[in-house]
Amino acid sequence: MPYVELHARSAFSFLRGGSLPESLALEAGRLQLPALALCDRDGVYGAVRLHMAAKEGGFRALVGCELTMEDGAVVPLLVATQAGYRRLGGLLTTANLRTPKGEGRVTWRELAESNEGLIALTGDGEGPVRRVWRAQGAHAAAEAGEKLRKVFGPDRLFVELQRHYVPGEEDENEFLIDWARAHGLPLLATNGVTYPTPEARNVADVFACLREHVTLDAAGRKLALNRERHLKAAPQMAALFTDLPEAVSNTERLAERLEFTLANLGYRFPDYGVPVGETQESFLRKMTYFGAQQRYGSVAGEVRRQLERELTLIGKLGFSGYFLIVWDLCAFARERGILVQGRGSAANSAVCYSLGITAVDPISSKLLFERFLSEGRTDWPDIDLDLPSMERREEVIQEVYRRYGRRGAAMTANVITFRGKSTMREVGKVLGIPDDVLDRFSSLFHGGDYPQTIQLAEQLKMAGVTADHPRLPALLDTCQRVYGLPRHLGQHSGGMVLCAGPLNDYVPLENARMPGRSVLQWDKSDCEDMGIVKVDLLGLGMMAVLQDTLEICSVRGQPVDLARIPKDDPATFKLIQEADTVGLFQIESRAQMSTLPRMKPETFYDLAIEVAIIRPGPIQGNAVNPYLARRAGREPVTYPDERAKPILERTLGVVLFQEQILRLAMELGGFTASEADELRRAIGFTRSQERLNRMKEKLAIALARNGVSPPAITSIQQSLASFALYGFPESHAISFALIAYASAWLKVHRPAAFYASLLNNQPMGFYSPASLVQDARRHGIKTLPVCVQVSERDCRVESDDTIRLGFSSVRGVRAANVSAMLETRKNLPFVSTADFLRRTDFSAAERRALAKAGALNELAQHRRAALWQVEDSESSGELFRLVAVEAPEPALSPLEMMTHLERLQADYETLGLTTGRHPMRLLRENLPGLWTAGSLKQARHGERVKIGGAVITRQRPGTAKGFCFITLEDETGHANAIVRPDLFEDSRLVINLEPALIIRGRVQNEQGTIHIMAEEIVAMPNAALPAQASHDFR
Amino acid sequence: MNYAVLIVPDFALHALRRSEPALVGKPVALVAGEGRRAALTEVSPEATGVTPGLTATMAMARCPGIILRTRDPAAEVEAQRILLAAAFTLSPRVEATAAGICTIDLQGADADQTEAAMRLRVIELNQMGIPARAGAGATPLLARYAARSAESVLLVHDHWKFLQSLPLAVAEPTPGQRVILEGWGLKTLGALTALTKADVGQRLGAEGVALWERAAGEATRVLRLVEPVRTFAAAWEYATSIDTLEPLTFKLQRFAERLAFELRGAGLVAESLTLTLKLEDESAYRREFRLPEPGSDVASWMRVLISHLETVRLASHLIGAQLMATPVRPAQKQAGLFETGLRDPAAFWENLARVGALIGDDRVGTPVRVDTHRPDAFTLVRPADTVPASKESSVHAARGLVLRRFRPAWPVQVTLVDEQPTALAGGLIGSIRQVNGPWRADGEWWRPEAWMSETWQVELEDAVVYQLARSDKGWCIEGVFD
Repeated sequence: MPYVELHARSAFSFLRGGSLPESLALEAGRLQLPALALCDRDGVYGAVRLHMAAKEGGFRALVGCELTMEDGAVVPLLVATQAGYRRLGGLLTTANLRTPKGEGRVTWRELAESNEGLIALTGDGEGPVRRVWRAQGAHAAAEAGEKLRKVFGPDRLFVELQRHYVPGEEDENEFLIDWARAHGLPLLATNGVTYPTPEARNVADVFACLREHVTLDAAGRKLALNRERHLKAAPQMAALFTDLPEAVSNTERLAERLEFTLANLGYRFPDYGVPVGETQESFLRKMTYFGAQQRYGSVAGEVRRQLERELTLIGKLGFSGYFLIVWDLCAFARERGILVQGRGSAANSAVCYSLGITAVDPISSKLLFERFLSEGRTDWPDIDLDLPSMERREEVIQEVYRRYGRRGAAMTANVITFRGKSTMREVGKVLGIPDDVLDRFSSLFHGGDYPQTIQLAEQLKMAGVTADHPRLPALLDTCQRVYGLPRHLGQHSGGMVLCAGPLNDYVPLENARMPGRSVLQWDKSDCEDMGIVKVDLLGLGMMAVLQDTLEICSVRGQPVDLARIPKDDPATFKLIQEADTVGLFQIESRAQMSTLPRMKPETFYDLAIEVAIIRPGPIQGNAVNPYLARRAGREPVTYPDERAKPILERTLGVVLFQEQILRLAMELGGFTASEADELRRAIGFTRSQERLNRMKEKLAIALARNGVSPPAITSIQQSLASFALYGFPESHAISFALIAYASAWLKVHRPAAFYASLLNNQPMGFYSPASLVQDARRHGIKTLPVCVQVSERDCRVESDDTIRLGFSSVRGVRAANVSAMLETRKNLPFVSTADFLRRTDFSAAERRALAKAGALNELAQHRRAALWQVEDSESSGELFRLVAVEAPEPALSPLEMMTHLERLQADYETLGLTTGRHPMRLLRENLPGLWTAGSLKQARHGERVKIGGAVITRQRPGTAKGFCFITLEDETGHANAIVRPDLFEDSRLVINLEPALIIRGRVQNEQGTIHIMAEEIVAMPNAALPAQASHDFR
Repeated sequence: MNYAVLIVPDFALHALRRSEPALVGKPVALVAGEGRRAALTEVSPEATGVTPGLTATMAMARCPGIILRTRDPAAEVEAQRILLAAAFTLSPRVEATAAGICTIDLQGADADQTEAAMRLRVIELNQMGIPARAGAGATPLLARYAARSAESVLLVHDHWKFLQSLPLAVAEPTPGQRVILEGWGLKTLGALTALTKADVGQRLGAEGVALWERAAGEATRVLRLVEPVRTFAAAWEYATSIDTLEPLTFKLQRFAERLAFELRGAGLVAESLTLTLKLEDESAYRREFRLPEPGSDVASWMRVLISHLETVRLASHLIGAQLMATPVRPAQKQAGLFETGLRDPAAFWENLARVGALIGDDRVGTPVRVDTHRPDAFTLVRPADTVPASKESSVHAARGLVLRRFRPAWPVQVTLVDEQPTALAGGLIGSIRQVNGPWRADGEWWRPEAWMSETWQVELEDAVVYQLARSDKGWCIEGVFD
C-alpha cells in the first residue's frame, strides 16, 4: 500500500525541524515515497528547496504550512490548487505585515473567509483538537474540531492520526477516530516528521532547548520521548496502522487531490506602463535607439547589428518590460542626482549600455552577450544596479515600494545559518559546556568563520574540552549536524522582487526588522529557481564616496565628469602600480596590494584583470602566477588548444573570466547557447556540487568529441571548477574596474575631496578612519581637528590640501544635538566657552568629549582649559540661550596643557584617530631595532628584520592553506607579514587579541612586493599603541 | 600618631596563595566577572606582562602558564582573622575597615613602643604568608595613606608634604570623578589640592569637596570598632575528598598559626585542642588533646596532632576538619570538660536520623519523580514539613491497570517471533498469550549513560499481565499489573 508523508517539518520551521528540506528529500527518495508535503511553521520558506530536490529525486513536492492561529493552535494546511496557494500567501502576509517580525497570527475569521483550495488536518499535539483534548477533555476537543469542520467542511478536513510508540497516544487516537466516524471525516496517517532519520533527533532536542532556553540536562520532559518522528516507508506505516488501513491509503488519495506544486506557480513580471500606441517591444526599441545615438554617436554597422540581435532576443523571450522597468529606475535615480551603474553580466549587453543601465560598451570591449542572455534561457537575466550606500539607495528602494506597493515589491530573504562560532556557542550552551570554555573557543577562533587548519576536536581541546570529556562525542556530532541549518531569516543586501499583481500570490511576505521594508520568505536562489525576477539595488560605499566627492568638487568650483576623465592618466596608473591604493575600490586589500607591483597595470583593461584575478576562483585555479609570469615575459604564452587563442589571447592564454569558459564550451565543445546557459547556471549554483560535476563531465565529452587533447580538457575542467568558487564575469570586472579607476583618479587629482568623502562614509573598505587619515597625511593632505566654530556635521574640505573633521567623527556626541548647535551657530557665532555652553544642548559627557577632542580650542586656551570650563556649573543656563553673552569668562585655567602623548590618547579616545603624527613615531625611540614599513624597501631579500605597529588587518583566506596575513601600520605606512600555520597556532591568541604587535622574521622581496615571513610574534609591550580598528578575517 | 592601619595589598590573592601552597611562586591571577567580560583583579609578580584589568584570554595570550583563579572567600576570612588578631596586639580599639585593611585607634599608646610593635607584627604577618604593611598618622585616612605608601612601616609626621606626591587613586575618587580628573591631567593628591576647594566644589559639587578634603588629609571619622574574638576555632572543607596526611597537616598548620596568633593577641593560651575530622561517609572522627603545658606554640601543637594522626586509620576519605583551642589565662588552670548534649526536640527528625544512620542517609526521604523520560527515575527529598494540597485531578481519568514495580526488576530471557515476544525464561517462565506494545523511549544521548528502553505488556498463560522491558542491559520484567 503506497504511503505519502503529508506532515513534515524542516529546519525552516526555525528551531522546530531538524534538517534541511534537501535531507528530507534524500530520505524520501531512499524510502521511495511518491510525494512529500512540507508543512513548515508559518511559512513556505523551504518549499522551493524541497521542490528542486524533489525534481532531482523523482517525487512530488507538495506544499503545505503549519499555520499558527490567534489562540495559539497550529493548523496544518495542505495546498490543493493554485487558488489555495494564493489564499495561503494572503493569510500569512496579512498576519505578518500587521505585526513585528515573527509574531504573525492568523485569526479564525480570516481563515474562515479565505480557505478555498486549502485542505486542513486536525494536527498533532499543538493542533487545535488534540491540544484542547489534553487540556480540557473530550467535549471541548469536539467543539474545537467542530470549529475546524465548519471552516473546511467534511471534504477538506482530515483527522490526523500519529503513532510514535508513546504511552497514552492511543487514548487521543481513540477520541479522534470516534469523532471522525461520528462526523464522516476521513482519517489520515502521518508521522509528524521533524527529521529525516532517527539519528537526526538529537538536533530536534537541541533546538527544543534553544527554543525553551534550557540546557539538555534541565530540559527533562520538554524533550521528545523517543526518536520516532522520522520519515517512514510505506510498509512501516502500514504496520503501524494495521487496524486502520484507510488512514494510510487516504494519504495517497489526498496527495492526488493536491494538484498544486511550485511547478505551476504562475509568476508574471509587471509590464512597464508604455505610452498609448506603443507595445513593450516597440517602446524598448525606441528608447534603446535613442540612447544608442547618444552613446555611440551614430547607430550603424556592428552597433546596429548587435542592438538588433539583442532586441530581437529580448522581445522573443518576453523580457522587454523588465528592461524598461530597470531603465526607468535608473532614470529615477539620475533625476534625483543619485549615481547609478549596472554591474554583473548586464554589462555584456549593448541594449543595457544604450539605455544607460551600464557604463561599459560591450561592443568595443568585445564582451560575450550570451553570458547575459541567450536563446535557450528560461530564467530572467540578472541586472544588478550599484547605488551609493545608505540614504540614497534607500530613496530608490522606497520609490520601488511606492510604485508597486507594499504587496507588490519586497526584498529577497537572506537565510542566516548556524556558522562555526554560533553553532559551537549555542550547541555548547545547551550541552552544558561552561561559558568560560565557550568564551575561550570564541577568542581562539576570533573574528569569524575563516578556514581552520586543525580539526574541530583539536580546536575544542585548545578551548578546554579534552579528548576524554564525557560530552565531546555529543558536541562534535551535534555541531556537525547543526552547522549550516537555518537560524533565522534576514534580508538580502539589495535584491528586490517585483511582480504583476500582489506578490504574496507567489510567496508570502513579512516585515523586515528594518522599518519600511518587507521581505519575501525565499532567498535569491529560490527566486531564481522559481523564475522570479530580482533587481539588485546594491549599496556600494564607494559609489557614495564618488558621489560625495563629485558634489564637493562641484561646490568648490572644480567639477569632475566621471564619464570624461582620461582612462590613461599616467599619474593614476603610477599610484596603482606602486600599490598606493589605500581607500580605493577593490584594489586596496592586502592581496591586491601585493599583486599590483608585480602586475603593474598600464591600461584600463589591465585594471579589470587585476580586479578579477585576486578572487578565490583564479587563485584556486592556479591562474594568478602563470598570468603574472607570462605578463612579465618569464613564461611563454601558450594555449590549451590553438582554437582557444582568439578567446584567451587577451588574458595571455590563462582563463580568468567566466565568459571565456562559456566561449570555450561553445567554440571548442560545440555547446549551444542553451547548453552554455546551463553551464553558467551550474557555475553560479553554489548549493550543488553534483550539478557542476555533471556539467564538467558533459563538457569533457563535448571537448573530446571535438578533438581537444586530454591535458587541455583537464585544464579547462579545472578552470571550470575554480569558477564555482566566485570567479568574476569579464563584464563585471570591467564595471568594477571603472569604479576602481575613478576612485584612483580622484585620489590623485582631488585628494582632499576624496579623503573627506571616504571619512564621511565610514565604515567601509579595509581601512579604519585612523589609517585613512595617516594615508592622507602621506599624500600631503592635512586633517584638521573638530572645531565648534567651523566644523560641520561631516568632514569638509577647507582647501586643496586641508580637510576638517566633522562632529560625526566625535564618539558619543548625538547628531540631534550637533544639528541644533549648528543652527544656533548659524544665527550667531559663539564668543566664548561659556557662551557655547549656554546656547547648546550637549550633555556633560558630550561637552567633555568635545573639549577632550580639542573641539573647543578656539574658545578656550587649550584642551585642558576647555575641560576645566565645561565642568563649571555656572556656565549653563536657559536664560541666555538666544543671545551671545559677553559673560565674564572664568579665570584662566589652573590646569597644565596636555602633553603630546596625552593629546594622542585623547584623540584616540574621542575620535578613534589622530590628526597628528602616527603614535608609532612617538614610541619608536623606546623600541630599538624596529624597521619602519617605509624602510623595508632597503632590506635585502632574506634579511632578518623586526617590525612593529598597530594591527590593521588579520586575514586567513580559505585559499591560503592555513597561512595568516597580518598588516601592521606605523608612521611610514604598512608592513605585511606572513604567518605559517604552525606559528599561527602557537601564537593564535596573541595574533587575535593584541592591538599592536612586534614581528620578527625574514624579508621576502619579490618584484617589489615586500613581506616579512614571520618567525616570532609578540605583543607590543605596555599596550603602547592605542587600539585601532582592524579588518579581521573577513 | 593617633591611628595606625595594617593593610595587605592584593589581599585576596595572598589569602588564596596562603591556603594553597601549590600557587606560591607561580604566575597566578584572580579573575572576576562573567563570560567575556571576565577580567583580572589581582596579579602575582610572577605573571610577567600581565596587569589587572586585562581580560582572561588576553592574560593567557601574554603569559601562557598563568593560573587563573577566582577569589576564595574562606581563605580571605582566615587571612582577615589573622590580620585582626595582629591589630588587637596593638590596641583593643580596632576597626575591620575592609578586606585586608584594619584601622587601629592608638590614642593613649606609647609612640615608640607602638612603632616597634608595628614592625614586629608586619614581620610576623609576612612569616605567615600575609605580606602586610603598616602606617600611622594623625587621622585614620592619613594612617591608611601611609600604610598604602609604606615599604614596611611608615609614620607620617608632616602630612602636607607626605600627601603631595601620592597618587590620586588613594583618595578613592568615584568613577565619574576619575574621568574628569584624568581629563584635567591630575595624577597626585598634591595636584588636586593645588586647585582651590571652591573651584573644585563649583565643578564637582559636594562629592568633589569631600574628595578634595580626603586628598588634603582633612577628613576624619569615627571608627566602627569590632569585638575581639571569644572562640578560637577553625573549620574547613576540601573541594575534593583527601586520603593522605599531607594536605591535612598543611591546613592544620595554617589554622593552628591563626589560632595561636589570636590567642596571643587576646593574652590567652590553649589548654587543650579538639580536632574533628569530617569523613566522606558522613561520619566524624573527634579527638581532644589535652596539651602537656598550656601554651600557644604552634610547633608543639603540631607535634601532638601529627603524632596522633599518623596512627589513625579512617574508614573513609576526609572531606573536612575542625580545630578548636580551649583558651585559658596563661597562669591559670581550668579543670574538667563540658559536654554538649543538645538533642533535637523533634522526635520525628531524630528517628529519621536514626533510620538514616542504619540504612544510609541517601536512602531516606520522600520519593519524587525526576523530570526525565527515563523509566522509574526518582529521587529522595527531605520530607516536607507540611503536607502539600493535592493537585487538581487530571482532565482525563486514569485508565488501565496499576503497575506494581519490582525493584530490582527480574532479568528474563525472551523468545522473539517477528520481533514480538512469545515466551519468557529465566526469572519468570511461561508462554506469552497476548502482547501489547511496544512503547519506546530513549534519552540523555549527550551523556555517556545514554539510555533506551522498549516496553511491552505481556499476558502469560496464567492470565497475569506483566510489564516486560528491553534496554541496552537486556530484557527484564519491570512489574506486574494488579
